[in-house]
Amino acid sequence: MTIEVSRLPPEAASGSVIRASERSLPRGRGLLTLVLIAAFLWSILQIEWGGDLIHAGGVAVLIDLLSGLVRPDLSASIVRKALGAAWVTLTFAVASISLALLFAIPAGIGASGVLIRHAGARRWTMLLGRAVLALMRSIHELVWALLFVTAIGLSPYAAILALAIPYAGILGRIYADLLNDVPTAPLRALRDAGGSELKVLFYGRLPLVLPDLIAYSFYRFECAMRSSAIMSFIGIAGIGYQIQLALDDLKYRQVSTYLLALVVLVVATDIWSSQVRRAMVR
Amino acid sequence: MTDAGAGTIAIAAGNISKRYRETVALDQMTLAVNAGETVAIVGPSGSGKTTLLHLLAGNLATDTGSIALNGRALAALQPGREKARLVGIMHQGNDLVANLPVVHNVLAGRLGEWGLLRSLVSLVIPREREIALRALDRVGIGDKLSERTSRLSGGEQQRVALARLLIQNPAIIIADEPVSSLDPIRAEDVIRILVEIASDESRTLVASLHSVPLALQYFSRIIALRNGRVLFDRPAVDVHPIHLDRLYAYDDEGPRIAVVE
Repeated sequence: MTIEVSRLPPEAASGSVIRASERSLPRGRGLLTLVLIAAFLWSILQIEWGGDLIHAGGVAVLIDLLSGLVRPDLSASIVRKALGAAWVTLTFAVASISLALLFAIPAGIGASGVLIRHAGARRWTMLLGRAVLALMRSIHELVWALLFVTAIGLSPYAAILALAIPYAGILGRIYADLLNDVPTAPLRALRDAGGSELKVLFYGRLPLVLPDLIAYSFYRFECAMRSSAIMSFIGIAGIGYQIQLALDDLKYRQVSTYLLALVVLVVATDIWSSQVRRAMVR
Repeated sequence: MTDAGAGTIAIAAGNISKRYRETVALDQMTLAVNAGETVAIVGPSGSGKTTLLHLLAGNLATDTGSIALNGRALAALQPGREKARLVGIMHQGNDLVANLPVVHNVLAGRLGEWGLLRSLVSLVIPREREIALRALDRVGIGDKLSERTSRLSGGEQQRVALARLLIQNPAIIIADEPVSSLDPIRAEDVIRILVEIASDESRTLVASLHSVPLALQYFSRIIALRNGRVLFDRPAVDVHPIHLDRLYAYDDEGPRIAVVE
């Protein structure tokens, strides 16, 4: 038999952040669910299930497309073209994610507010940092692309900047959340040993979140690859551009080859990322 | 300033109180600990042990009263090098950075001494590796230097925390239930090393413990807390069963204590 007392002291850790959302979550949840279900049902009723859902001859095209997709054109010239386009798409993705990382790491650390001990200053830094990151990612990469193409023309820089900005916003936000959400006991021990917040960041927070941080960055790199392919649809080179050309020529077997190249890129990234993670966990 | 010889007072707490809303955790406690003493704080759960240690470590502010460590007012000490030289703290566990190698967790004891650049460089090429190795040897796990910390057992992790404390080299060590998460055999090992480390350099040690036998065997002085007050404070050799019976008897004050199976 043990004696338990109801006055254990609260955590003495100073830096823990309590989020408002944790407290106000359940309230209004049921109502929201009802509204969402109603909206879903309503949207189904709005569809006209008539014959013009698919255009005349659409079925024939669909069959053509499918039969092309299952038989990719593997002739040497097309494969070479697919590899070249995949390479371009890959370089765009690498360049833009690198640029995004350069911005997102310091911005994420800033927006997490972990370097500031003064509570008021920390709150304002977090607010400002997160607002900037939100602005960057609330505009889709295609919209950024259109803006940049208008401003600087059809250049690779337009595509790279257009990708880098929203990705920096997304990555920065996630990094900030990860850094805020670490166990406090190891951090407290580092402070007790005389570590400043900056040292605590490098000896505590960053090592604690590193596996998650790397895994998420790889996932975003995958997404950047897909987005980079999409960039072609506004006229910037890459695998999407080849897909578009082949579609215009009704060469569905070539479309299939290019799609395959894209899949290979994404799967290769996935394999790479899981190997890095395995090496880290050992 | 830190070379407090025998007889000088390392910890002086006068009339310290702490309350959490309506509950009084510590009630007007006055306490003096001489340099080089090894003090065990015992008492039932909620008697105020953890609160007292957090106050002594400066991690919590007192409501009333003041604390001086080696003659310096604790409230005026800024976190950083100076404080780290004066007082080091050991917790129940889980306060290591699990996915760093052991060597960095040990060298974290130097963070108060090192500048930022040196600290950062050390994460790539460990500085003062020999000192870390010597500290780990001292606590009996010299072979774990390059091991990933998360792969160590609970007892080994507490030894790493001890090595970190050793490297921090404070004049006063505060240990809050340092072995509460360990089985009895490992608990005794860790306590033995902790007391040895303190005695070697005539550091002052104040540790809270659940286990009275361990406290009686290894510490020079026992302070028993109950309901936020000192019930008795005497040399370990003068503690008798009658004292302990009173310490752990059921409380008749009612609402503050719930009895759990």
